[in-house]
Amino acid sequence: MPVKIMTLLWFLTISLFATDKPTLTIYTYDAFAASWGPGPKIKQAFEKEHNCNVKFVGLSSSIGALRKIQLEGKRTKADILLGLDTSIAQVAKTTGLFIPHELNTSKLDLPAPYSDDTFTPFDYSFFAFVYDENKLKKVPDSFEALASMPKEFKIVIQDPRSSTAGLGLLLWVKSVYGDKAGQYWKRLAPHILTITKGWSEAYGLFLKGEADMVLSYTTSPAYHMVEENRSNIKAASFKEGHYGQIEVAAVLKSSTKKALAKEFLAFMHTKIFADIIPTANWAYPVVKGAKLHKAFESLHRPKQMTLMDGATVESQRKAIVDEWLEAIAK
Amino acid sequence: MVGSHSEVTMLKGLLRFKSAVLPGTFISLSLLGFAFILFYTLYTSQNGSLFTALDSRIYGLLKFTLYQAFLSTVLSLFVGVLLAWALAHQSHFRGRGLLVALFSSSLVLPTLIVVFGLIGIFGRSGYLNQISMFLFDTSFGSYLYGLGGILLAHVYLNASFASRALLHSFESIPKEKYKLAKSLNFSVFERFLYVEYPALKSTLLSIGSTIFLLCFTSFAVVLLLGGSPSYNTLEVAIYEAVKLDFDIGMALKLALIQLSISAVLVVLSSGFRINVSNLKTSDALILWKESTVLGLIQWFIIGLFTLFFVLPLVVILLDGIGADFGRILREPLFIKSFITSISLATVSSILTVIIAVLLSNARRNFTLPTRLASKPFSKLLDGIIAFSGNLYLAIPSLVLGLGFFLMYQNSDASELLWSTAALLTANVLMSLPFALSVLTPAMHKTAQRYDKLAFSLGLSKIQRWFYVEYPYIKSSLGYVFALAFCFSLGDLGIIALFGSDEFSTLPWYLYQLMGSYRTTDAAGVALVLLFLVLGVFILLPKLFKEKL
Repeated sequence: MPVKIMTLLWFLTISLFATDKPTLTIYTYDAFAASWGPGPKIKQAFEKEHNCNVKFVGLSSSIGALRKIQLEGKRTKADILLGLDTSIAQVAKTTGLFIPHELNTSKLDLPAPYSDDTFTPFDYSFFAFVYDENKLKKVPDSFEALASMPKEFKIVIQDPRSSTAGLGLLLWVKSVYGDKAGQYWKRLAPHILTITKGWSEAYGLFLKGEADMVLSYTTSPAYHMVEENRSNIKAASFKEGHYGQIEVAAVLKSSTKKALAKEFLAFMHTKIFADIIPTANWAYPVVKGAKLHKAFESLHRPKQMTLMDGATVESQRKAIVDEWLEAIAK
Repeated sequence: MVGSHSEVTMLKGLLRFKSAVLPGTFISLSLLGFAFILFYTLYTSQNGSLFTALDSRIYGLLKFTLYQAFLSTVLSLFVGVLLAWALAHQSHFRGRGLLVALFSSSLVLPTLIVVFGLIGIFGRSGYLNQISMFLFDTSFGSYLYGLGGILLAHVYLNASFASRALLHSFESIPKEKYKLAKSLNFSVFERFLYVEYPALKSTLLSIGSTIFLLCFTSFAVVLLLGGSPSYNTLEVAIYEAVKLDFDIGMALKLALIQLSISAVLVVLSSGFRINVSNLKTSDALILWKESTVLGLIQWFIIGLFTLFFVLPLVVILLDGIGADFGRILREPLFIKSFITSISLATVSSILTVIIAVLLSNARRNFTLPTRLASKPFSKLLDGIIAFSGNLYLAIPSLVLGLGFFLMYQNSDASELLWSTAALLTANVLMSLPFALSVLTPAMHKTAQRYDKLAFSLGLSKIQRWFYVEYPYIKSSLGYVFALAFCFSLGDLGIIALFGSDEFSTLPWYLYQLMGSYRTTDAAGVALVLLFLVLGVFILLPKLFKEKL
């Protein structure tokens, strides 16, 4: 009985939203889809150009969005997956769920070489620990300093299995410490307040004052300068350099609107899109000559981006994550 | 001559009880068949690497799961005994009945709600830290996430449940024994050791094994208070393997380990019964005056635990009242979750009642000497039916969910259909052990009392049900119905695997809100859920008490 009623309700909802315009469904992470994120502005701009509906579905993390697509299998409604980064893209590619984008990406303005026939970049930034300079007086300037902070010093990080930020930190530590990464995590473990599924949850905890530092981006302070007009939120620059994140998107093989979806990927490389990114997703655009808010000038921008290539990550990810899980287990 | 006569009676008996035996046996066999298919699906899906790679991470998980279950059990029993002891000796105070009834309600309180309330008090920005900040300008920091929080929540959920059953044991101690203890000038400790402990022993064992199993398979508490992968139980690890890693192989390995261990535990605690039938307050009181000091200690225990028990609920009320209900109640996802939760709870509680009645109806044929108890196969059949009703204890919900999930992946039927089937099955299986422990004794008694009369009057099946069975067991039916409804309404288990924006229940919605730190909205939804559960648990049984 309730199954019938629910199916009925389901059809009702479908028919209510059914219009002539095609709907492009994009799975992404929550901060991208949020009302204060870039989602609504991009939706508006793309809909105007292509006479269609864009629907952003925000999941707790981008890897969470990938898992959702995997769980839904052939039933997925997603046309595009947006928000993975180059580190995890290779892993996603091997699922065989995505198709080539057929775009020329050689002219893009990237901090590190990246070219892939399936996933295509739309913005980038550098990972960094973010703090409130009014509350944290002694700021760590390296991983060593971070692990040697006093006992009550706490950080929030993201789970590398669900969040690209969490994975980025793991790869960052791995590229600095190599074989000794496990030992380093053991030392850092007492300072980890909690490990969240996605970036928003962690950042929310930090803003609520639950932790002294949060793993975020060198570009995060720009948000507080522009939107809140305060400059006390800072990103700590680390001597070891900063691991980076180039965010990418790809079209699903199961999509029924592949042509429209590919047009969206092309749209990500237009100036309209690139102009929205800095002050909505708080990251650097990948299009040359895009305008950057002046708040970005005051940010620490690492000269070089540490980045492992996708193939290495794909082959080592499991071992790196397992090493981490074991090191932090109590 | 005598022999042939009795054979005829038995044959007659078999025919006469056919309609009582068959449906129950059929359901019981279907349940076992389902368990077999589930195990088969899990077993055939993994590729033979089960016993080769018991790596150190799985070993660590297993160790922590057992360790926290052991500590939780010991602590819950300790607190439960203290509380029951205090309540047993303070038998005359106003509101005692209400207090005891309140503690019993912990059985149906959604785990998620309890955790939410505990965070409100003991969390980093909870009331305790706020008060300490205000008075001493220091905060205790965050101590809730991790083993401490897990233990705290488990003690909250289980100590009250244990104390209720233990109180019953205290109250069944003959008064003469207390008099004897007094005349022998026993100290409190001696009195406990020689008079009270022997009476508690069997309850401690059965309650202890129940609590251990519940904590061993604990999911929601660990998911929310584990705080990180540092504190994972097998159940949470299964969930993460599916949802975070999409590593079905790993999930299967964990599920099979979990399944074998809980099966062993169920067998080890074979004398094990979940006894909720005695959770109704009895009026047997210990007519004893305690010394003033002892009285004070007992009052302190009762007061402290009442505070511990009531405060989290009060916090939910206080935090929830401030929520913007006008907006929350109109959120599409809230409405969707609400409708799904209520429909699922209604269907699964009706199914639970029907299945429990049929199983109990079949079982009593094999346990009543006047029916078929003397038949050679009776013991075996009775055992099989009893086991099929207690399947949930052997199959933890996430393992069940994983089985459903694999079947779903291999089929073309819609996601909605599979999610609904998975949740209904989980909810019914979860409620059955409790339902049976209430209904089986009740129906056994009716048959014992009215069999002769009913048979001599030649009542038809329907007449018998309306005039004999129903009036006698209807209060138990109401209790079981309410119990199953509340269990279903508050469960955060299998939905964690199937939940999405399209298919969501109230606990899942609340969990999402908590995850995105929309604390005020979460408080509002928690309050709605708390009211629903308590309302149903208090009001539904009353409906059944009304005369038809």
